[in-house]
Amino acid sequence: MAVSKNRLIFLGITAAISLLYVYMTWIFSPPDAVLGENVRIFFQHVAPALVAYGLFGGTLLCGLLYLWKGDLKYDILGAVSIKLGLLFTTITLLSGMMWANAAWHSPWNWDPRETTTLILWVAYACILAYRSSVSDREARAQFGSIFGIVAFPMVILSYFSIIIWDTIHPRVITESGLQMEVEHMMTLFVAMIAVTMIALIMVDLTYKVDSAYEKLMRIRMSRS
Amino acid sequence: MTSGFSAAFAIAKKDIIIQFRKKFEAFAMFLFALIAVIAFSFALVSGGSIPADVGSAMLWVIIFFMGMFGFAPIFLSESETGTLRGLATAPIPAWAVYAGKVIYGFVLMGMVVIFLVPIISVLFGFSFLTNLALTIAVLIVGILDLAAVGSMASALTMPSEAKATVFPLVYFPTATSGLILLIEITKSIVLGDLFIGIGIMGPEQTVMLLFEILLAHLIAMLTLSASVFHFALSP
Repeated sequence: MAVSKNRLIFLGITAAISLLYVYMTWIFSPPDAVLGENVRIFFQHVAPALVAYGLFGGTLLCGLLYLWKGDLKYDILGAVSIKLGLLFTTITLLSGMMWANAAWHSPWNWDPRETTTLILWVAYACILAYRSSVSDREARAQFGSIFGIVAFPMVILSYFSIIIWDTIHPRVITESGLQMEVEHMMTLFVAMIAVTMIALIMVDLTYKVDSAYEKLMRIRMSRS
Repeated sequence: MTSGFSAAFAIAKKDIIIQFRKKFEAFAMFLFALIAVIAFSFALVSGGSIPADVGSAMLWVIIFFMGMFGFAPIFLSESETGTLRGLATAPIPAWAVYAGKVIYGFVLMGMVVIFLVPIISVLFGFSFLTNLALTIAVLIVGILDLAAVGSMASALTMPSEAKATVFPLVYFPTATSGLILLIEITKSIVLGDLFIGIGIMGPEQTVMLLFEILLAHLIAMLTLSASVFHFALSP
């Protein structure tokens, strides 16, 4: 199957930006005054975290769209969002543990931000488990969408936990702007773009695979 | 609007009457709570007591788990007795069915908690008397919040093949956000003067903020669930 020209261009740009990101993370960024070389994990922690939140927002959106329009495509996309959101949350948690170990010599501290991110992981894993227990396709889409919508307040709480609670989790984006060196700011910016583009490619590919799989299942069912 | 609320009350009344006849679920929830208290005591008691803030937090954890097991029958019983279709096809708005079930869940849990709170406060050694008004307000809002979440979760298990097994999976993500807030507020009541507040806010400001967030959470969950309930109740 030939890949369309636009997709190839997008892939090419993503590859270029990713290479730039690797260069900036390892060579361009200076070691941090406090953390030393360990600051480099920061970029691989913040970018996936924000992408994960975005994907969970995507789940909410797809759920609402499915309930409104009734087109199964939205539900397939919603399921893809949950799966990839889970993946990126896993990356966030693991990189966060690496950073915590480097900075405070203890990988897990039950900091409210850490805890709510873990809860988010479990919440979306629960949605996936729930979906697999419903065998009727339309019912799975309908009820899965509702569950995705009703679980969303947890994302909001997770996001605001850092503001509400006294946490040891560093607050980098405050009212006075970004609190870090210029090189780190630039690397973070590039990291965000690179990880977002990679995530979009993954969403696209996974959606294609899942759609094809569903089509195959439907053909098999209609033949048997 | 009026027919919606009267339908909701009718549904709640039916369930409450059934509960008063059988008493089984309420009693089972109460016993489960006591079992949980004993089980937790093995882990938590050191030197014959438990710190007050830990004990009060355990109260809400136990209530949370009671809900995990007590709210599942809200729709499961309707499904088993075959009356779910009746609810789905009745000429009442879907949100009225939801509201009725939330009221029933609140009454059911409330009945158990009224007995449970004094017992646990003695066994786990903490006192709510420093701020009884806030305690009652938090209990009411908290149980209503859990009932709102539990009823929705129960309805969501309907299309699943393993309804009872899947209920905790649906209940947990939606109830946890409320649980966190409830534990924080309760800690502040129980610690009394020892409670310092969060960040730059003083203790009273913190409690007010948390209570406001809790109320916002309750209203958000009720509104969200009631709006999509139409899709959850399709026959």
